Amino acid sequence: MPDTKISTKEAIMLIISIIIAHTIVTLPATLLKNSKSGILVNIVYVSILALLFAFILYRLFKNFQSQDIFDISDYLGGPFLKNLIGIIFIIYFISSSGILLRNFAEGLKVIYFPNTNILFIILSFIITICITNSLSFRSNIKVISIILPFVIVSIFFLFIGNLPSFSFERVLPILGEGFFNTFVVGTGNIIAFSGISCLYIIPPLLKKPEDFKKIALTGIAISALYLILCVSTLLFMFSFFLKVDEILPLYTAASYIEYGSFFQRLDSIFLLIWMLEICCYLTITSKFSSIIFKKITNLKYQKPLTFVFPLLIFSVALLPKTVAISKLLGNILYRFISLSVVFCLGFVILLLANIKKLHYNRKHKEGNQ
Amino acid sequence: MKSKFIKIFIVILLIILTLSFNSSYQSLSISNIAFVVSMAIDTSTTNNLKVTFQFTKPSSVSENGSSDSDSSIVNSVEASSISSAINLMNAYVGKELSLSHCKLIVFSEEFAKNGISDEIFTLMNDNQVRPSTNIVVSKCTAKSYIENSKPIFEPLITKYYEGYTNSSSYTGYTTDATIGRFFNNMNCDTCEPFAILGGINSESKASDSTVPSEKDSNIKSNESAITGSLRSENIGLAVFKDDTLVGELTAIENLAFLCTRNQIDGFLISVPSPNDENKSIDIYLTPQKNTKIKASIVNGSPYINLEYTFTGRIYSMSSDSDYLNNDILTEVSDVCNSYLESVFSAFLYKTAKEFNSDIVGIGKHILSSFETSSDFEEYDWSQNYKNSFFNVNVQSNVKSGFLLM
Amino acid sequence: MILGDTSLENEEKENNFILKNDKVFSSIDVNLEFIKTKYNTLINSDIVLRDFIINARGKQYKAFILYIDGMINSEILNDFILKPLMLRNKSNLYDNDQTRVISEAVTNNVTVRKVKKFNLPDYLKSCLIPQNSIKEKENFSDLFSGINSGNCALFVDTLPIAFDIEVKGFNQRSVEKPNNEIVIKGPHEAFVENIRTNTSLLRRIVNNEHLIIENIEVGKITKTKCALCYIKDLTNTDLIAEVRFRLNNLQIDSLLSTGQLEQLITDTNDLAVPQTLSTERPDKSASYLLEGRVVVLVNGNPYALILPSVFIDFLKSPDDRNLKPPFANFALAIRFLGTFITLLLPGIYIAITSFHQEFLPTELLFSILASRENVPFPIIVEILIMEISFELIREAGLRVPSPIGPTIGIVGAIIIGQAAVSAGIVSPILIIIVAITGIASFTIPDFSFGFHIRLYRFLFTFLGYIAGSLGIALGIFVYLSMLCDIKSFGIPYMTGVSPLDSSKGHGYFIPQIWKREDRTAFLDPQKMKKQDKISMKWKGE
Repeated sequence: MPDTKISTKEAIMLIISIIIAHTIVTLPATLLKNSKSGILVNIVYVSILALLFAFILYRLFKNFQSQDIFDISDYLGGPFLKNLIGIIFIIYFISSSGILLRNFAEGLKVIYFPNTNILFIILSFIITICITNSLSFRSNIKVISIILPFVIVSIFFLFIGNLPSFSFERVLPILGEGFFNTFVVGTGNIIAFSGISCLYIIPPLLKKPEDFKKIALTGIAISALYLILCVSTLLFMFSFFLKVDEILPLYTAASYIEYGSFFQRLDSIFLLIWMLEICCYLTITSKFSSIIFKKITNLKYQKPLTFVFPLLIFSVALLPKTVAISKLLGNILYRFISLSVVFCLGFVILLLANIKKLHYNRKHKEGNQ
Repeated sequence: MKSKFIKIFIVILLIILTLSFNSSYQSLSISNIAFVVSMAIDTSTTNNLKVTFQFTKPSSVSENGSSDSDSSIVNSVEASSISSAINLMNAYVGKELSLSHCKLIVFSEEFAKNGISDEIFTLMNDNQVRPSTNIVVSKCTAKSYIENSKPIFEPLITKYYEGYTNSSSYTGYTTDATIGRFFNNMNCDTCEPFAILGGINSESKASDSTVPSEKDSNIKSNESAITGSLRSENIGLAVFKDDTLVGELTAIENLAFLCTRNQIDGFLISVPSPNDENKSIDIYLTPQKNTKIKASIVNGSPYINLEYTFTGRIYSMSSDSDYLNNDILTEVSDVCNSYLESVFSAFLYKTAKEFNSDIVGIGKHILSSFETSSDFEEYDWSQNYKNSFFNVNVQSNVKSGFLLM
Repeated sequence: MILGDTSLENEEKENNFILKNDKVFSSIDVNLEFIKTKYNTLINSDIVLRDFIINARGKQYKAFILYIDGMINSEILNDFILKPLMLRNKSNLYDNDQTRVISEAVTNNVTVRKVKKFNLPDYLKSCLIPQNSIKEKENFSDLFSGINSGNCALFVDTLPIAFDIEVKGFNQRSVEKPNNEIVIKGPHEAFVENIRTNTSLLRRIVNNEHLIIENIEVGKITKTKCALCYIKDLTNTDLIAEVRFRLNNLQIDSLLSTGQLEQLITDTNDLAVPQTLSTERPDKSASYLLEGRVVVLVNGNPYALILPSVFIDFLKSPDDRNLKPPFANFALAIRFLGTFITLLLPGIYIAITSFHQEFLPTELLFSILASRENVPFPIIVEILIMEISFELIREAGLRVPSPIGPTIGIVGAIIIGQAAVSAGIVSPILIIIVAITGIASFTIPDFSFGFHIRLYRFLFTFLGYIAGSLGIALGIFVYLSMLCDIKSFGIPYMTGVSPLDSSKGHGYFIPQIWKREDRTAFLDPQKMKKQDKISMKWKGE
């Protein structure tokens, strides 16, 4: 049955859902703090950069049909490089999802479970992922494609529901902190598109590998629209995100929505949907980690791995002692790791492999002649 | 054997989870919570502040019988901060207080004059507080304000509080000022916070008979000429600068405020009759377009151009009026324009010169004059607002009467 | 030989014995003895052995017939078997030559006559027994399965075969109105217990020779007849092969019902989700057959299994296609809502009242508070009391004799609810919640799916109690993941829901009649189109 591979639409959803998970927790507020009112221009700019990046990735992958970054690094530098890259990617997935989970759980604790130890809130997520990780990759993807539309609709609602209290003038001055800040320093905001990370892994999992370009570009484009929606909601609505930190910024925006006096404080519905989204994200990262690990070790049975990676995420999530540290990790470390792993390391590997291939091809041709 | 282990493990895990979440359940369960309906904060002679909580007895709704004065319970406590006041009250009532259904937060005038930043931040830090909670500054003590707010139509006080500011959209004499917006404006570079001005009407304190103002619309809370069984009132606006109360607006100024912010559907206004100085005409005006605000900086001080457009119909009728005549209508429109222009610019200059508080949020229109946010921060709008010049232009188009022409 | 006491070993030996001696003996006495032993005629009261003498062409043969009393139509037996065989008439008295000339040709003055030798079985079959269905059988096992299903066997001396003659005539229920799946605009016929009646019902609707009804026997002892029905040039052949394979490889002693068969042939029973549709309506079965699915009938059961079935099938009613799409889609939406409410309402109620009071409008909150004023229990206990007593009433309503059944349901619910409220045990709001949940659960058309949802409702109640919306969210996530993981005969269970493009030809909502061009795509049928691009040709011009 071809039911083990993912379709084009599902691959796009995969990319989007990684980005959405980050926006729910800290991302929009961080972006907003970085670029102030220039954020919209900045996001458009960064999205174009991300699209370009995705397009370059597509060109680089084109020479390696249906191979992922690990196969390619195997080609480039043998098994050692393959294992190294694999481990780096696993660390990237585990650490980013662990910290994300921690930050989200902190928010949940404040909002709903004042007397519960944070350990148990995280634990309940971990149990969930343990179960879903033991199911097939296909079923995980299917669940994501069920849940993701709801998440996107929820953000639309957030935008539309808050529309009456928007003041659009807040977008001015349009360049925020100035040209330099928006276009040079703001380039770092490309980490918002960390969903690109799964482009390195999905090529062999695709039903239609020839759609890679479509997947990359559509995924990034939709994510960009989504991100604009999120950030502009916060920007137009609140002035205080520039000064005050909020634990879950979008949650705050959700609690402002009101339709008459009957429908107020709809935030628990939003939060319910977002919890589902966080589960999706964690499932993806732990599943990807399992897949990578299986790939670099040539394991035959994946079953014992199902609990390893969720537990690793669990331990990473428990590492920070306070919210301050986890926030710091979420903002700085995540930014650093994303930039270096997703946007530098993977890119460099692909580039080198392409050069090698070109070189090899030329040699081959010369040999033939 | 192995599967048995797993089963036992799962059961243990479930039990642990149940126990760990149970404490949250206990504290948040509906039966263990006392819901605060409104909250009043006063200055205290002995301690930092005096917090008054209003609860309502749920039973007053379930039976459809009489629900009289007993339905609400008012308790006060003196403490050093809001949190410790809540804590003390928890111990006193034996239930945990939840602010999730608090509809009204009242600060006394005296308290608000000393700055309420800490209190607002504390309240907004509590995730239970609704951003749509109304915020009131009362001319009397806050406690007596909520003691005197007794619904006359609804059996339940929360219902009264919910419809509390409904009239703002068609009278313009009060504003739907919420704590969420207050907080937002407090942290905003381009706007300043405001609150509803509350008070107790004159009947309750007949001794200090206020000077009856020459116009109906010049009233504000505590000085109005209303008497009735509902003794609390909310007319006018309390203007803040950052977090301190700096002044009050009367009903008509509040109307100007709402017009400038486009938050009004229509309003009634009395303009002097063009023919007879002593008479006045009542016109019902509805905004036709959003107010156009253009702001720029001329010689370092803000120059603000405002354009209002209304259409109107005439309410007041007399036997000799003839509103089919176009000339008369134009005449009325002109009077109306000049009257409104004077009212609006008086309001704007009052906020600028007297209060130096940009409650309207004109600051956001001036953002376009700056290239970067740091330029704007350097300019320091909140200090420069007082230098503003206003050019008010009102276009009103009075059309006719209603049924009678 | 007494069956009941035999040990396993004996049974095996006996089986071997049967296997070894499966052929019919030519001596009638041996056959008689054999049958007497096999059928335990001394103690088995309804086995009838009637011996007599056949007259055939003047000769007389010893013979006997074997049948089971109560399963045959004795009139047929008397008139069309015993009478022609025993009574002397012109035909069997005919005693010319023992041979019959088939053709005669004269060549070179020599007459060459092609003659047919007298063949007793042929003669019996073609001349003596005027009965429609008659088969020669060499094996006892074949013969016995015929007899067990109501045929009679004729043994004639000197013949190493026996005749299996159909004289079925047991009492059976006639075709009646369906009891459990009632539709408004549709036929009112239901399957009955007899498999032949059921297949005939199907055939009457499909009305095409491509409808194949394969016979498969399941069960070592009962040898229950199962019919595997499909349409030859429509249904995916892999699917048919898979179902056949599963049915043929069931090592069980007995098969009594479709319910058992369903559990025996589905991939997994872990989540307690029904994975095959079970219906008592021939029209529903036929419509699924025509979509390219497989229907399995089990003898003795008025239900058909439709394979494979996916999640959305369980919310569909046969009436949907008979109604105009807006009505049908409205009903489908209501049913989806009903499922949602049944599954989640109690959980959401407890989550909101325990963790998210801010979500409630203030007036509603205070009316809940007021209604709970005198209730001594925490909400979870309150909910469990009412939910469980609701389930009790439902179960009791099924068990009590039918005349008072409906009354106990309604009266019980009303009285218990009313009394519980006035006694202050539960709050009136909760009664409403439980009642809505209960009513919503009846909107689910499929019984076992409804049961599944009702069961999982308790799980979600518990999760909502533990951790509010967090618990419910995690529960939904795991539940959906598991549903996505299930496959019914190789078809992913959530097809039509999850990869959205998989719903071609079989979405949850019903398209306009002229848009129903495709067969269910996920079944990969042999023919995709079921109507022309322009189906209503008369509209043209």
